[in-house]
Amino acid sequence: MFHVVTGGSGSGKSAFAEQCILDCQGNKRIYIATMYPFDEESHRRIARHRAMRAEKKFTTIERYTDLEHLTIPQGADVLLECMSNLTANEIYQEGGAGDNTVKAILNGIHHLLEQAGNLVVVTNEVFSDGITYDPETEKYLEKLGAINCQMAQIADTVTEVVYGIPVFHKKTGEERKNEEILS
Amino acid sequence: MILIIGGAYQGKQSYASKTYNLTDPDWKDGQTCTIEDLKTAKAVHHFHSFIRRELDEGGSVRDLAEIIWKENPDLIIVTDEVGYGIVPMDAKDREWREACGRVCTKLAAHAAQVVRVCCGIGTQLK
Repeated sequence: MFHVVTGGSGSGKSAFAEQCILDCQGNKRIYIATMYPFDEESHRRIARHRAMRAEKKFTTIERYTDLEHLTIPQGADVLLECMSNLTANEIYQEGGAGDNTVKAILNGIHHLLEQAGNLVVVTNEVFSDGITYDPETEKYLEKLGAINCQMAQIADTVTEVVYGIPVFHKKTGEERKNEEILS
Repeated sequence: MILIIGGAYQGKQSYASKTYNLTDPDWKDGQTCTIEDLKTAKAVHHFHSFIRRELDEGGSVRDLAEIIWKENPDLIIVTDEVGYGIVPMDAKDREWREACGRVCTKLAAHAAQVVRVCCGIGTQLK
């Protein structure tokens, strides 16, 4: 199962994504953390997320670029958080994929899907503030938007979390069938 | 409690007035109202601005959601969604944006209804 979880800032998307992994009921949980801790605020954010994950038995892998060459235990339930940071890292970090970011990340996602039992990717809605940014930031938005669209195409489920409420944009056939039965 | 969310200038307040039969005196404005108003009002709009003012004045909004659902469980809250853009450069803006998300997530959990308004049209999320 490949599940893309998106949402705005402070929307509860992380808690929702963690629950998705717990619901898989596997015995091997991997958390791929993509946020590079460059200042005190990012350390605080990471500490907050670590506290949320405590007792949920995740093994944390810090990975800032290059998913294409990441080996994980076969069949694990994997939570990758988050795509907006990974994309920025690939574009801006030395040794990142640069102009090749979209392709590199999608190859990386395919590589994870070959290994994982279930994959949940958290991404971010950063496209709706109506501001035209400098060309560098616009390039980032374009790449993240393309990655989100292409992930959604191959995902089984796409969920936007709005203040803790899941809004389903794409559902698996199984879920749709269950809903039809209920209605 | 009812939570009405959506982008700026989408007709959220008019939608709420029409749907829940509210008139001008029912409304408090988050740009000017006090916490006491939130405990007694029928409806509040610009709720995101109330959060901003609290933070700018050095206050905390950690218990805001709980105060509202305990003391005014029938409040109708209209708020802008402000968490759907690029992470702001200014730390205060970042703090406000995230605080709006956290407070509204708690409110949504306790709300009887959550409606997102876009182009004046409401979609019920909860």
